[in-house]
Amino acid sequence: MTRMTNPLILKLEQRDHLSDEEKRALENAISRVRVVEADEDIVREGDRPGESSLLLDGFAARYKIVSNGRRQISALHVAGDFIDLHSFLLKTMDHGVLALTTCRIASVPHATLEKITDEYPHLTRMLWLDTLIDGAIHREWLTAMGRLSAAAHMAHLICELYLRLKVVGRAESDTVQLPITQAELGDTLGLSTVHVNRVLQELRKEGLIRFQGDVLTILDWERLKKVGEFTSTYLSLQNEDR
Amino acid sequence: MPDITLQSISVMIDGGAHDGQLVLSDGHLVAVLSRVTSQETAGGRGQAEGWFLEAGFGPCGPVMSVSPPVFVDVEEAIMWVRNRLDAGLSAH
Repeated sequence: MTRMTNPLILKLEQRDHLSDEEKRALENAISRVRVVEADEDIVREGDRPGESSLLLDGFAARYKIVSNGRRQISALHVAGDFIDLHSFLLKTMDHGVLALTTCRIASVPHATLEKITDEYPHLTRMLWLDTLIDGAIHREWLTAMGRLSAAAHMAHLICELYLRLKVVGRAESDTVQLPITQAELGDTLGLSTVHVNRVLQELRKEGLIRFQGDVLTILDWERLKKVGEFTSTYLSLQNEDR
Repeated sequence: MPDITLQSISVMIDGGAHDGQLVLSDGHLVAVLSRVTSQETAGGRGQAEGWFLEAGFGPCGPVMSVSPPVFVDVEEAIMWVRNRLDAGLSAH
């Protein structure tokens, strides 16, 4: 397929070298590309998909709904994220994944994933690594949700999203596009919209960040990291043999 | 039915004073409300401005209830408080 580098390849190559053959295998694994509009489901809770969805562009959220329609977003996904790679083995989706913006999604049939795991042991480990990093992010979020102040939690999330977007070439020096509403941030952080606005206001007032529309500028990276108690170890960003 | 009374109070938020109300049930503090503007609810799905539950206690607190949306007016907030006092753990 002729298009700019698949963001999943950028994401994996940050962590370890991929051979040309492995990159080709990933490119050829894509059976089709579809567009999902904002607020539409990419996969639904209870689905048994026969393919996994790789996010090429846009923002998506894993979520669950509890009583009274209240929603918890348990993961935010950016370009390069293999949103439901785990459905290959878990089979039944225990949560839904929603497009937060218009998303371009590449579908990878489970049969192809099976072939990759049969034929490419290193690439298989890299895909395993990808789901392990997802797990590490969940642990980090749980800790932040339970034990950080709302302001620190938001700072932590911003640090993480900035680095994840940077890895896949979606950051320009200190600026990223973050088209996520306050309500969605609230559902992610477990906060009311009122608290989200107050926290953003606080971070602005402290000179840490600036929002212009949906463009986020990080004004003081070191202090933002300190406020959010952020260390990037859990993102496994270093390039090494895996 | 418990006697619900209100007491005006200024609440410190974002370094400034906000209009607030203490909500008491038979003289016991059950909730602190503050007046929020549409700026503070921007990007949300619900009510643009109104009264926000800053803190709740007992059946209105986080142990037994989840944070309610912004209330249109004090009457709506009192209705929520009454429901919480009646419901205990059985409903939100």
